Amino acid sequence: MSDAPKRITLEQWDLQYEKLRAAGAPQPYYGGPLSRHLKDGDRRLLKLSYDNSAAALRLWNLLLTEEDRLHEARASGRKIVGTMKDLGTVPVMAYSLKNAVAFYPDGAWWIPCVMELGAGLLEIADSLGIDESFCPVRAMLGAFVTGAHFPLPDMLVCSVGATCDDFSAIAQRLEGLGPEILWWEMPHRREPEPDEIAVTLPGGFVAPKRQVEFVKSQLQGIKTALEELTGERLYAEKLSEGIRKANQVRRCLSELRHLAFTAQRCPIPALEMLIAEMLAIHFCSDRQETIAVLTELLDEVKARVQAEVGVLEVDAARIFWVNPVADLQVMNLLEDCGGRICGTEYLFSHALDEVPEDSPPLDALAQMALADPMVGSSIDRAQRICADISLFGAEAVVISRIGGASHCALEGQVIGEIVQDELDIPVIEIEVPPVTDSMRPTVRTRLEALVETVRARRRPVPK
Amino acid sequence: MSKTVLYTCPYVPAEWIAAHGLRPCRVIPDSAGTVFSLAGREGVCPYVRGFLAEVTDGDRAGAVVMTTVCDQMRRAFDIVARRCELPAFLMNVPNTWQTPAAQQLYVDELRRLGRFLIRHGGKSPSNDALAAIMLEYDATRTALLEARERLSALRYAEEIAAFGHDGPDAVTGGYRGSLEPITRVPLAIVGGPLMKKEFRIFEIVAESGGRIVLDATESGERGMCAPLDTEALREEPLSELARIYFGGIVDASRRPDSQLYEWFEEKLTERAVQGIIFHRHVWCDLWHAELGRLKDLIDVPVLDIDTAGDFGSEENRTAGRIGAFLEMLQ
Repeated sequence: MSDAPKRITLEQWDLQYEKLRAAGAPQPYYGGPLSRHLKDGDRRLLKLSYDNSAAALRLWNLLLTEEDRLHEARASGRKIVGTMKDLGTVPVMAYSLKNAVAFYPDGAWWIPCVMELGAGLLEIADSLGIDESFCPVRAMLGAFVTGAHFPLPDMLVCSVGATCDDFSAIAQRLEGLGPEILWWEMPHRREPEPDEIAVTLPGGFVAPKRQVEFVKSQLQGIKTALEELTGERLYAEKLSEGIRKANQVRRCLSELRHLAFTAQRCPIPALEMLIAEMLAIHFCSDRQETIAVLTELLDEVKARVQAEVGVLEVDAARIFWVNPVADLQVMNLLEDCGGRICGTEYLFSHALDEVPEDSPPLDALAQMALADPMVGSSIDRAQRICADISLFGAEAVVISRIGGASHCALEGQVIGEIVQDELDIPVIEIEVPPVTDSMRPTVRTRLEALVETVRARRRPVPK
Repeated sequence: MSKTVLYTCPYVPAEWIAAHGLRPCRVIPDSAGTVFSLAGREGVCPYVRGFLAEVTDGDRAGAVVMTTVCDQMRRAFDIVARRCELPAFLMNVPNTWQTPAAQQLYVDELRRLGRFLIRHGGKSPSNDALAAIMLEYDATRTALLEARERLSALRYAEEIAAFGHDGPDAVTGGYRGSLEPITRVPLAIVGGPLMKKEFRIFEIVAESGGRIVLDATESGERGMCAPLDTEALREEPLSELARIYFGGIVDASRRPDSQLYEWFEEKLTERAVQGIIFHRHVWCDLWHAELGRLKDLIDVPVLDIDTAGDFGSEENRTAGRIGAFLEMLQ
């Protein structure tokens, strides 16, 4: 375990980094002081609070050096696959090949936050007719136009069908600018009819076998395209090995989540947990290193839990968080207000559930893809959220709206009602833009009110 | 009297519902309407709001069919499922269209819809019965399309709406007026569906010296399926039904959306369109994103009209903008 766990500033991290270096702590190839990323324009880093462990430093450095890795992959002749929207499925296939690396251009949605709108990506999207009425993922368009944030992929794959309209529309706008996209269909997950064979998917949702077969046929098309791109056959054994590796990541995250969300004292801040969870979707362009980073983080958390130490007060309000935040600083803000994260549904639970290893690999991936919480109804998603709230003992829910996102218009209402009906706990819905500075007091007030409500509910009712 | 089955998406074939002995009724909301439970929710498409208001209001229908064509409507289904007693069916309509698998998925969904209709009072149709209904609908559609030049743009839109709402019997027919020479500026209206109060746009255009010669909205000509191939109909009516709907209606939701632009190119040229009114509801991402593409791909002036679905309060602004647009074109 590192020093006494606490949240520190970027400045403090530089001092901490020197201390670690002086103590001879090993650094990975992408290591270094966090503040060096400021020269890339990542100004939001100055305003965030960080966990002070060496494991967290490694996690942040892995995240903030992804672009370099993609350029290195290109230079070494590997094919770059830009996989869009499915959040966790196609990368498992791509990383099963020796000669491919996959990433989500969707991740560009955090660039306006990290660069505090300094990259001009949203302005480029505006100029292409994709204005602020769309989800911040529109920053992806700007990133493609400038070519400044990731190398242009050799192949683009995008799932459509039961996905958000924002993304589908933006991806179509992108294709109109030149890059060819391999579209694949993701049907809306539905309940099996009485005479249909039902399949229980990873995570517990159920779908008709017919739908699993359909998705499998779509993935088969992607597999063929990947083979053509890389000149390498993706045999079942290779794909099974890729699934095993992905499951290593997922198992690690599962243990990490369980410890982080259930320990009496919160052992790791919400922001680091958010980033750790994100690694599951495409391994931050280095699967092996992702496993190493998560393993180190897990060891740190285990040590803290065993020592009964943490980064927040013991009585922090236990909050379940729905949807990822466009402004990372809001995760800090929750903790500043007296809350801690005890359960999350960041739109990619299916990337955290283990992929079945006892099914043929493409079947298994099809099952996983169909388990996507966004592919089914908001009612299904709410049920899963309720189950996880019970599992992790959350006392309240924050539904974080993504401005302009088509799914946020109605799902918050359904999820909120179901959670309140079934669990009788407070739910609030807040909207989080890429940079919240101007509305920080409002968001803060609402989070503080929620925390106060949770604490008030803990007090015994006077007889 | 047979049960009424409500729907609004053009990919739901009315013939299929009618063949099950039920009454298909395509809902075109009056306006954005009010759904108490959605009051104050930001980001909800006005058309979805209007549709929900119609569906959740009263007990005049026997069932409702919604589709996955747009995400907001897909999620509105959850509201209907939770709040309404009305039996509701969500039909998967693929966004991709080029593969046999996507086409087969649509056919499978029609079969599943058929089972739903039977569970709610419908009867399984024979091929002959289905074919007869398809022929009747096709004949009415053909008559409507042929009548376009004899009708005002408003009347044409109303006839299409009446056909969707009440079937072939609702179409008055007898369009014997003479062809109206087009002396006004020929315009197209492009976008998602119009709500009934928004039909006033046709009159505003006429009052301002223009004429809508192409109603490329979802509630207009663009939302009508392809003509029947009678030979294919004889062989396998259900497959032919899928072809004319899934293969015959072009839309902004399709990926890729290339068919839409091929259709635009053909129709805009054929009708010598001089300007496009691009009509979109706020929060409709699919159509909003097409605006930029349309401007990139089609060399005709475009007027963008966005609406929150309250036409009454927006009419003056809309009329002023259309007037200025036509002035520029004249």
